[in-house]
Amino acid sequence: MSEEASVTEQLFIQMCITGIIMALIYILIALGITLIFGVMRIVNFVHGEMTMLSAFSMYYLFEAWHLNFVLALVLTIAGICLVGIFFQRYIYKPLGYDILNVMIIAAGASFALKSAGWIIFGPVPRDISTVFPGMLRILGTPLSMERAAVALICVGLTVGLYLFLYQTKTGKAMRAVEQDPEAAAVLGVSIDRVHAIVFIIGCSLAAMAGALVGMLFAVEPEMGSEPLMKSFMIILIGGMGSIPGAIVAGLLLGLIDSFTETLLGGEMAFIIGFALLMLILIIRPKGFFGYEI
Amino acid sequence: MMGLTVLFLILSVFTGISSAAPKELVVGCNFLLSGPAASIGLAMQRSVDIATDLINQKGFTVQGEKYLLKPVYFDSKYIPAESVSNLEKMLVQGIKFVHSTGSGASVPLVEKTTAAKVFQMSYASGSDHLTSPKYPLSFRSVPCNETAFAMYPWLVKDFPQLKTVAHINPSDEAGFTESETRQRCAKNSGYKTVANEYYKRGATDYYPVATKVVAAKPDFIDFGGTIGRDQALCVKALRELGFKGPVTIGYSDPLAFIQIAGVEAAEGAILFNTLMEPITPEAKKAYDLYLKKHGPPFLNNYYEAWDPTFMLVEAVKKANSIDPAKVAEALRTIRWQSVFGEMYVGMESLYGIKSVFCHPVPMGIVRKGKAVHLTMAPWPDDALVQKLNAK
Repeated sequence: MSEEASVTEQLFIQMCITGIIMALIYILIALGITLIFGVMRIVNFVHGEMTMLSAFSMYYLFEAWHLNFVLALVLTIAGICLVGIFFQRYIYKPLGYDILNVMIIAAGASFALKSAGWIIFGPVPRDISTVFPGMLRILGTPLSMERAAVALICVGLTVGLYLFLYQTKTGKAMRAVEQDPEAAAVLGVSIDRVHAIVFIIGCSLAAMAGALVGMLFAVEPEMGSEPLMKSFMIILIGGMGSIPGAIVAGLLLGLIDSFTETLLGGEMAFIIGFALLMLILIIRPKGFFGYEI
Repeated sequence: MMGLTVLFLILSVFTGISSAAPKELVVGCNFLLSGPAASIGLAMQRSVDIATDLINQKGFTVQGEKYLLKPVYFDSKYIPAESVSNLEKMLVQGIKFVHSTGSGASVPLVEKTTAAKVFQMSYASGSDHLTSPKYPLSFRSVPCNETAFAMYPWLVKDFPQLKTVAHINPSDEAGFTESETRQRCAKNSGYKTVANEYYKRGATDYYPVATKVVAAKPDFIDFGGTIGRDQALCVKALRELGFKGPVTIGYSDPLAFIQIAGVEAAEGAILFNTLMEPITPEAKKAYDLYLKKHGPPFLNNYYEAWDPTFMLVEAVKKANSIDPAKVAEALRTIRWQSVFGEMYVGMESLYGIKSVFCHPVPMGIVRKGKAVHLTMAPWPDDALVQKLNAK
């Protein structure tokens, strides 16, 4: 009986740890999307493909060409930010940041980038070697150093984003534009500069997520699809444009996913996740803390 | 000059030399060219292309007419609806021979190909959903579920310390049928199944399924119908959660598996029906041709489409016909020296009709980051199949 209780306890702890870690990764992607929506009122569907491009960039720079990990990461983030700025300045801005037009163009661009990924990188999955080898134990439950490090990095970035938005002048300017762009402009805030910074931060978060997912799992052209879908579920449940909402919803969905997938299987996890999403949207269409679209 | 022309024409009539262009035997290849298992589809496409080049160096003759083989590729994306749509395009084009991959993409076709009297050979699990007397023109070109009948007796002999098994399979046609066959084989081989879990194919994180399986404390884990990067990510998760026993995996590209799982996690993995090294002269020839055309790395699943392509042409030649029904009957009588050894169409004791390409099953193991060939497990005889398949 004592051994059974111990196994059940271990299973419970493992499900909690798995749920939290996966939630943190999806929150990282969701934060980028929700930040962009919050300030610019556009939905950047290309976000998932940015994580994919980031993972491939890390693969080639770090794994294939043996650059230092940190240097590879910095170059990757810079590259993905350039991609993001390209979309913001030359595709979304000419559309006047119209939410519907941007959504359609971004969705199309997402398919195009994925298809380009198949052609350029091919279908054979790759792997990024871990820079955090080893195992540790949490309450007797094994956890790879890699996963623990990823969790800490995600928490650090989330806290860093919060501090940036609430403790820096640029962060305050971004929040001002989020609340009322016209008033912010009258007060001397450069809207164009804020938009560029929002995209840089959003894309940097996508790039970090891609590097971390690539290290934990496999690098392949399809890899951006599931995280993007989960991130949108998180954003819709938590509320578009709400960072606290994304965090709360992410943790909730991550834990639900982990428990249902472990105990009931992957299909049930999808069903229950979508059922939760539908319930929230029916009861509270704005999500926990969000804005109306 | 006139005399020479008349002489040539007379000779053409009596010797059957046709001055017309060779005819084409078109094979519609419904392969997985995108999606999580696309590396398998790519390897098979390359295999069919190189085999076709070899065959077409001389072509083949049917009823006095010269034929060349022409594969036409369609991407099923492992989506049943896409696969059926591909078949409909093939039927419109008058294609009478179909080569398909993946249970989810192949099983939905078999009712239609049977009704249309189209020959279908598939690298797919699916058990009797694909191969049965109801589908006399459908063949399984790579043994899938059936490898369990070779693998389990070999495990009993070579790994006697193993007593309990857990099964992990994708939650689809392939996974359900593989699980059913393998659980029966395991039980009739004396193993106790302590867990039977499914995961959603192409999932990102395998900790949920690995957590449950590790909790059941199996001696070894049979990955059955799991393919591609799913195997590697799941094995990696199992090792991180503390599972130290062997895993059995098939349909594998050993290099990709070791790279993605990691050298430590891959250590001790038993690879069934995976040719680690080109150990036969036929395998060496096929391997060299691949490297000459594509260079390294070698995609191991290349072998899966190699011999079936040649066997199809041999069946056409033997039938002296491109009628799918006659070709199917001729195929059942062919014995072919394949990359694995002698290959023939069998498993009548299991499915009621000779419908599976049978051959010795290569068994290997991963040691220190390399896949090492151990032996060729013999293909089971009918008596053993019936014993292992007993309910």
